[in-house]
Amino acid sequence: MSQDNKQTQGPQTTGHAWDGDLQEYNNPVPNWWLYAFYISVASAVIYWFMYPAWPIGGSYTKGFDTITYVNDKGITKTTHWNTRALLMAETNEAVAAQKPYYTKVASLPFEQITKDPELNSFVVSAGKQLFSDNCAPCHQQGGAGKIGFAPNLTDDDWLYGGDFTHIQQTITGGRHGYMPPFADVLTDVQVSQLADYVLSLSKIAVNPASAQAGDALFHSETAACYYCHGADAKGRQIIGSANLTDKIWLWANVPGSDTIAGKEDAVKNVIRTGLNKGVMPTWQDRLSADQIKLLTVYVHELGGGK
Amino acid sequence: MAATMVSGTEQYNFEIVKKFSIMAVVWGLVGMSVGVYIASELAWPIMNMDIPYITFGRLRPVHTSAVIFGFGGSALFATSYYIVQRTCQARLISDGMAIFTFWGWQAAIALGGISYMLGYTQSREYAEMEWPIDILIEVVWVTYLALFVGTVMRRKQPHIYVANWFFLSFILATALLHTFNNLAVPISLFSMKSYSLFSGTQDAMTQWWYGHNAVGFFLTAAFLGMMYYFVPKQAGRPIFSYRLSIVHFWALSFLYMWVGAHHLHWTALPDWTSTLAATFSIMLLLPSWGGMINGIMTLSGAWDKLRTDPIMRFLIVALSFYGMSTFEGPLMALKDVNALSHYTDWTVGHVHSGALGWVAMVSFGSLYHMIPKLWNTKIWSQKLIEIHFWFATIGVLLYITAMWISGITQGLMWRAFDQFGNLQYSFVESVAAMHPFYAMRAIGGMFFVTGMSMMFINVMMTIRQGKREAAKLHAASHGKMADMASA
Repeated sequence: MSQDNKQTQGPQTTGHAWDGDLQEYNNPVPNWWLYAFYISVASAVIYWFMYPAWPIGGSYTKGFDTITYVNDKGITKTTHWNTRALLMAETNEAVAAQKPYYTKVASLPFEQITKDPELNSFVVSAGKQLFSDNCAPCHQQGGAGKIGFAPNLTDDDWLYGGDFTHIQQTITGGRHGYMPPFADVLTDVQVSQLADYVLSLSKIAVNPASAQAGDALFHSETAACYYCHGADAKGRQIIGSANLTDKIWLWANVPGSDTIAGKEDAVKNVIRTGLNKGVMPTWQDRLSADQIKLLTVYVHELGGGK
Repeated sequence: MAATMVSGTEQYNFEIVKKFSIMAVVWGLVGMSVGVYIASELAWPIMNMDIPYITFGRLRPVHTSAVIFGFGGSALFATSYYIVQRTCQARLISDGMAIFTFWGWQAAIALGGISYMLGYTQSREYAEMEWPIDILIEVVWVTYLALFVGTVMRRKQPHIYVANWFFLSFILATALLHTFNNLAVPISLFSMKSYSLFSGTQDAMTQWWYGHNAVGFFLTAAFLGMMYYFVPKQAGRPIFSYRLSIVHFWALSFLYMWVGAHHLHWTALPDWTSTLAATFSIMLLLPSWGGMINGIMTLSGAWDKLRTDPIMRFLIVALSFYGMSTFEGPLMALKDVNALSHYTDWTVGHVHSGALGWVAMVSFGSLYHMIPKLWNTKIWSQKLIEIHFWFATIGVLLYITAMWISGITQGLMWRAFDQFGNLQYSFVESVAAMHPFYAMRAIGGMFFVTGMSMMFINVMMTIRQGKREAAKLHAASHGKMADMASA
């Protein structure tokens, strides 16, 4: 066999053979392998001396490395290296760096916050994060909202008011929009007439006679739409009823349809079923008052505010 | 020596090896296809199609179980039964026990897959199967252990071949891991739902003690066993160093058990546990490399085989990926590297450089070597193995490159702060940045699955060819006997 040849010159096999021709050379372990292994063990031992490593009873070896940090009460402490202290050290450092800005945001009136360029940059930076983590799931990244889901915050239309005070109020306490269903109150013809009237307010070419009938119905006691949407159909911010004249749609997906019939259907649907899903949660228990104030400025700037 | 080369069928139970080999190829094709599908779901979420059964969350364990336990597990059953019989010169001690491990194991994987799609899961990674399936696996595994040990005890040679040490350590460790990680209390006898016996940090610790040792003993030690038989067989040369195999076997077995906690750095885990896991991971590097050195050096002096023999190429490239991912692993186990890499796609890339590059490639090589021998024929198409090799290699490279870039990008985006100390990117911005790499990963997977389909065809055609040749031989010998009778 060919192995016999090699055995006389090269390394020896162990002399065992399995399954016919399976053999093993008796080569020594390569030196580089052995030394590299020793080095890895030595570095592990050094590591054990530096950091918390071995459990002893209810405690553990603490290691020689230390960490110095300022705790949340402002007291400087030095302790053995540990991840909790490291987290506290890094967090408190960041909080301390942000503190002067937050103090300014808390103390200055809204208008002055926007006029201070540096403070304004801070608001944009911190606001983007607060918005992304808390608001974007509904209002979308960038705040453009989604028809049938959540209002657009970058346009000029504010259901509950777009000045600083109202935005702050909205974020703090949340909102709940409601419109009753009219399916049982109005006939199909009446619902169509109302839809045509509402569409005509946005300069959409519908049947004028039907829209006229809808106009009358809108201001009558039968449908009584004007109670909430106002005689001018421009909505009332105190109750969050929509402005029907501004070509901005939230619940009825009018822009989503190319045909007049499709647009009518979108509006008719809302009239028939009403609305009870315009719910924004309250944030006062999740965000601090300062964070809400900062977010107010951020949201106000998204659409220019009022 | 030549006297021991008795033709297999009577001396050994090769029926069971054949069954597991076929299922390895079948599960490989199924599991990898599901993998490509879920990779595509991540890149193009519309593929969820709003059908709950096929959403990413449910199909992901179907993929991992089908490839790890279906493909990898079946390949290990097949090769370990083949190797233990041939190297011990002993038949498996019981055909009944062997066939029970086959049907039990296949049932567990099929039931697991169906239950995941219906929404049943223990939420333990790589151990998602609920308690009734866990009990089935436990019974199968104990049978496997008894069968393997019994066969080793019947060996006709005083020395136990190195491959069998690795298989035995894999079977023992897996029994231990499976048992303790799945200790759970069912909410009732007739409910699939159960709750873990452990809670909080202890529960997480148990899960990752299991999880990493599943990598260590199932996906590493066992496949090293495979390597220790098929590399020297295919190369026709002795193993490079017996001494190295002893040293790295014991070092590997001892060190692996400590490192699971490196999956839980920077969590509620005590700092000392984290440190031990990180340092033992570093010490594990060289013992892991021992297997690679022994495999690759076995080929030393016969390097030309890499050019001419695609099976050898599968085996050696597998060892190279093994060396690379066992270098990457300890690196990622360091707390500071882990702070960047954890929870990112880097982890996913690392797993796949091991799973595709090492586990799948070494299995492909071994199955290509073994299957023609089992059916007593030649491989149907040598050319197709060659093409499979290139598809597999390109697939792995695309996959891990995509995940490296996307993982490190994710890690850097998540920790980027602006001058005010605010996070620079929102989470969703990092998701958007991943899209091109998710598409690239899906394409890499498609390459790999295409290679796997070639293997499926090649294996099925080889089996057909083997059966046809056997039938011809049978007919010829019968004809001869008929001639003799009439004469």
